[in-house]
Amino acid sequence: MTDHDNQQYKDRLEKVASVVLRPVRINNKGFILWMGFLIVAFAACLFAYSIQLRKGLIVTGLRDYTSWGMYIANFVFFVATSLVGMLISCVLGLIGFKWVKPVARIAEIIAIAFAAVAGLVIISDMGRPDRLPYVFMFGRVQSPILWDVTVVTTYFALSLLLWFFPLIPDLAVAKNKLSGRPAFLAKAYEILSFKWVHHEEQYRILHIAVRILLILVVPTAFAIHTVTSWLFAFTPRAGWDSSIFGPYFISGAFVSGTSALLIAMYFFRKNYKFQDYLTDFHFEKLGRVLFLVSIVYLYFNLNEFLVPAYKMKKLDAIHLHELFMGKYALLFWSVQLGGLVIPIIILLIRKMRKPLPLFIISMFVFAASWLKRFIIVVPPQAHPFLPVQNVPAEWHIYSPTLIETAITMASLLLALIIITVLSKLFPVLPVCELAEDEAIADNELLSGIENNSK
Amino acid sequence: MNRLLIILLLQLFPVILMSQGWDTPADKKGKLSPFKFTDETRIVGEKLYLLNCKSCHGNPGKANFINLVPSPGDPATDKIQHNSDGEIFYKVTTGRGPMPSFKNALSSNDIWNIISFLRSFNPKYIQAFQPEIKSAAYPGATINISLLLNKKKDSVIVKLTAISPKIIVPVINAGIKLLAKRTFGMMPVDEDKTSDMKGFAAFKIPKGFRGDTAGNVYFSLRFTDEDKFGAFSKDTVIKAGEITIPQSLVKDRAMWNNVRKAPIWILLTFSLGVMSVWGFIFLVLFKLRDIYIVGEYLDKNPGKEESELK
Repeated sequence: MTDHDNQQYKDRLEKVASVVLRPVRINNKGFILWMGFLIVAFAACLFAYSIQLRKGLIVTGLRDYTSWGMYIANFVFFVATSLVGMLISCVLGLIGFKWVKPVARIAEIIAIAFAAVAGLVIISDMGRPDRLPYVFMFGRVQSPILWDVTVVTTYFALSLLLWFFPLIPDLAVAKNKLSGRPAFLAKAYEILSFKWVHHEEQYRILHIAVRILLILVVPTAFAIHTVTSWLFAFTPRAGWDSSIFGPYFISGAFVSGTSALLIAMYFFRKNYKFQDYLTDFHFEKLGRVLFLVSIVYLYFNLNEFLVPAYKMKKLDAIHLHELFMGKYALLFWSVQLGGLVIPIIILLIRKMRKPLPLFIISMFVFAASWLKRFIIVVPPQAHPFLPVQNVPAEWHIYSPTLIETAITMASLLLALIIITVLSKLFPVLPVCELAEDEAIADNELLSGIENNSK
Repeated sequence: MNRLLIILLLQLFPVILMSQGWDTPADKKGKLSPFKFTDETRIVGEKLYLLNCKSCHGNPGKANFINLVPSPGDPATDKIQHNSDGEIFYKVTTGRGPMPSFKNALSSNDIWNIISFLRSFNPKYIQAFQPEIKSAAYPGATINISLLLNKKKDSVIVKLTAISPKIIVPVINAGIKLLAKRTFGMMPVDEDKTSDMKGFAAFKIPKGFRGDTAGNVYFSLRFTDEDKFGAFSKDTVIKAGEITIPQSLVKDRAMWNNVRKAPIWILLTFSLGVMSVWGFIFLVLFKLRDIYIVGEYLDKNPGKEESELK
């Protein structure tokens, strides 16, 4: 009937499944400890949120001038990082790079977790979260805020489907191989595999569905982050009033997303023992992707800062002076150099595109990406058009409070919880696709060639 | 030593400035209200005070004036109450520094009403008011003012006559000004004029001068020389403006309007975009059902050929 029935394929499937399904368990000590830690820490942060809920936003550092602080910076960061799902599976996948197959699902997991939490982060910035339904009841289609709510929801749905559809054949394969796991897991796999029997007709339907999703997610992902940038760029405020904010944000999103993916890949490779599937070759390739997106982002940075800095319009000058030489100078230059320029230079060296160096570089890039959002969101608000007069000193300089920081930490913890749950309950690598392709053989061949060339 | 002296002097500078005071010309100091302060005048004065003065001076007696240099001060305190009626009148009329002139915003009667309100916070105050003199120049006569639109409808013609039981004569060489009510306060129309030998004066109305929906404009004619002619105004409505139908800024579809009046293009782009993307998402979800149906069929009929599936 189909090539899915021949013996060679079945042997390969067994081999891949045994490796990929090994970490799918939730009753081992390591998992319970890790999940316990996440939940306790998350609960502690939720307590901080309960204080904010009771007393209002006054417990944060947000005041009349800086009314968008850490929360909104964090929101932009989460939306940005979630874009990696689109970058890997669509931009690279649609073009036809076969090597993205083993990393595509990891990218989708990151996309799901970060897009889901991005929506919640916005609620943490609301003084009256009970008024959230008003967005839908009284929302104006002219407002980028409504566009943002719409596209974040849509992107989350698309990411979830893009993760789930390719998972169906794997669930069908795995449902009989779950000995020693809780019974509900096998039951869930049975239901979620939708009677998958590896028939060609089913593969045809699945391919159509995935194809539609891959095409849909490209404009949606571009919309989600462009609209997020418009929340800023649609105002005349110096520092936000920029016509390149859309591409500037998108290119920055690819940088933070790729670094997040590399961190996750390194983690899964080490802890889940996926060395055979997340090979040096994949790291080498993604190291190049990180280099490429970083250099594009550097180009946009050059435009974003050099163009106004050459003209030095009155308010731009005050803003840029604060960034270049003023009170944000240390933060600004460490982010621009440590998170962008130096990684670009290091990534040029072949030896640095190995898993461990890439993991370390990505940690720096990831942290710098968060701080960069802070630099984009906070400093422009300190220089309003009307003069700042007769106001309390605490309104002048924004400094996040402990409660605010804890609530921000909660968002990161929640994203980690989602990633942990998804990656412990379901296979992280595409079992069937890996078995289908000659991918493993290819990689062995390629790594062999690489070793010979040294 | 010298430096210390300079610093000391600099410290004293604002004090010196403040202590210089705000002098009222000697002839204005003794000016008196043309009417007696009553409860009625106080109530009118309070309304005017809340509209025009409160934003800086606060509520009298509450010391909630705003923090400016020089300080506006609370009008219930001695800082303001030690002034004579004429001095307050002069200061409100002319203004100084951050204190604006209310010459055109308020009529003399308005200012006297406000003073009446302010004096109600001073228990020691005893009012001395000017006995009613209709006109020093025309003793015993009442002055009649009539305002008319000329035939070309581009000027307001003012006719001043002094009427006594015995004679009717034109009021000549009287300084007058014409004010028109706008959205915010009274605006002078044309320049100040002097009545001619027949008691006439003409104020040119600017082109495109806006009236209400019927073209009506509220005018107020006042004497520039109030000492001579008394502090009264002739207020009247004349159809001298262009008919102005107020246009609502939220009448048409616009980006700043509410969602029902959003521009068509954005309504279409947004709803079609959302509908098509979510349409495809539901289409994809229905594919799950297809996969299930195929699987179930093959479960029940193992070994069937593909052609039978369709």
